[in-house]
Amino acid sequence: MKSFSKIKSIQKRLTAKECSCVELTQQYLNGIGQKNEKLNAYTCITAETALDTAKKVDEKIARGEALGPIEGVPMTLKANISTRGLETNCCSKILQGYKPVYDATVWKLLKEQGAVLLGKSNMDEFAMGSSCETSCYGGAKNPHDLSRVAGGSSGGAASAVSSGLAAYGIGSDTGGSIRQPASFCGIVGLKPTYGAVSRYGLIAYASSFDQIGPLTTCSEDAALLFDILSKKDACDSTSVGACHASVPALQQSLEGKRIGVAAEYFDGLREGVQAALDDAGRVYEKLGAKLVPLSIPEIRYALPVYYILACAEASSNLSRYDGIRYGMKAEHYTGVNDMIEKTRSAGFGKEVKHRILLGTYVLSAGYYDAYYKKAQLLRRQIRKAFTAAFTQCDFLLAPTVPMTAFPLGFTSQDAVETYQTDICTVPVNIVGLPAVSVPCGTDENKMPVGMQLIGNTGREDVILNAAYQYELKTRT
Amino acid sequence: MVTHEDVRKIAKLAKLEVEESELDGLTKDMNEIISFADTIASVNADDEGYSDPNDLENVLREDIIQPSLSQDEVLANAKDTDGSSFVVSQHA
Repeated sequence: MKSFSKIKSIQKRLTAKECSCVELTQQYLNGIGQKNEKLNAYTCITAETALDTAKKVDEKIARGEALGPIEGVPMTLKANISTRGLETNCCSKILQGYKPVYDATVWKLLKEQGAVLLGKSNMDEFAMGSSCETSCYGGAKNPHDLSRVAGGSSGGAASAVSSGLAAYGIGSDTGGSIRQPASFCGIVGLKPTYGAVSRYGLIAYASSFDQIGPLTTCSEDAALLFDILSKKDACDSTSVGACHASVPALQQSLEGKRIGVAAEYFDGLREGVQAALDDAGRVYEKLGAKLVPLSIPEIRYALPVYYILACAEASSNLSRYDGIRYGMKAEHYTGVNDMIEKTRSAGFGKEVKHRILLGTYVLSAGYYDAYYKKAQLLRRQIRKAFTAAFTQCDFLLAPTVPMTAFPLGFTSQDAVETYQTDICTVPVNIVGLPAVSVPCGTDENKMPVGMQLIGNTGREDVILNAAYQYELKTRT
Repeated sequence: MVTHEDVRKIAKLAKLEVEESELDGLTKDMNEIISFADTIASVNADDEGYSDPNDLENVLREDIIQPSLSQDEVLANAKDTDGSSFVVSQHA
């Protein structure tokens, strides 16, 4: 089996004793030391614990024991995934100093497998943004062009993986926050089926949309990590685990597969993105698959539905930040309500406040029916439309973003225009489907373009198989 | 149309302070976003009652006491405690 796996190649070096895990980890830490000032991918570096873990891996190798599938491989976690005793602040001032007293289930699973955590990666504040620039630390930059954004919200993880400062990253995707930065930085990003991966310990933005997934250099690593992370978890009542293991499916032929191409995803693409997607379609035809043109008109409701529902959930989720139990607390105040208002006003950034206000508005008396309830009903309709589409095809092919990485500062100019760049990523979060962004060439500025493969519920195996077969055909 | 007064009222509900200087910008942004959200207000959607869009069902477990966080752990991140409770002074 031809392999592009970064994880496997690292493990091969370790077991062949080309280098020790401590040496390897130190190389990564040195790389971070050299490049992070420019890229701003990491917001905290955990050198000591990384080297401790690496030492244990070396001892295991010295004893002649076999390594687990991801053991000893250096990686990063997004700053909204709880790590016991290690600051987890969502890149928000309001959570400065917050050290969780428990581990997120994903981190527990990875730690058990001997993952080497290099540090926490940068993100838009509370995962609200498409550029990573709403982070209280400033945005992560794109390794392909430092004058452009890494994307968001998992921009730090994408920037780190793309520039070789981590073998893989774990991010979260509420409306595209794994896939969009993966697309902008030229790497693979998987948003699993809602419920496949436990959200326990993921600091919530919009609970019915949030899903944790991997950012990797290839689809094989995404499959490997998905199979490890997709476990049913008693701590998350929405967790169901995986329906199908994805690694065993990678080798399957695409002969006779039907790939749905929904016209709505291809409206208003930049020329370079359109051309790259056309090429990808031709690759799939060469692999024996058939492109099936179809239409999902309900996609036109996706953006307003997403912003109404996600902001409504955010306004409720973020009401917990009151200065009393964790995070920052106003120093001077004249009463309990005043303390809460002063804490929240000083602690939240502009974008977070906007979304809380919008969410509060659509949930308030007199507007609930017109906005929140209507959006919930349309969410059902969109779901039905996707279910119908999957009677005609095995998976969908779409762009991940209508454009490539935008210049730094672009997103602060027009709120609605910025939201519209999410048009291709939000539909699957609304309906809970899995989708993976896979690099498929570059535009005229040599910036990476991502294609999105969207699967039916629980069919990560189908889209990762298609992603792997594409890489086999196109990568050298 | 969202007015300054609306923004002040919503901010009060959301326990956020809005500076006078922010009011114009916020009202403009809110109006842009609300008019965008209005695009679905006129769409017909049958009211089938609420059901989970992801077809998830409630997961219940037996009501058995399980280990949970200790009092010290729960209080560990609070700015003010008396060792057994969160403390919120009336003034500071």
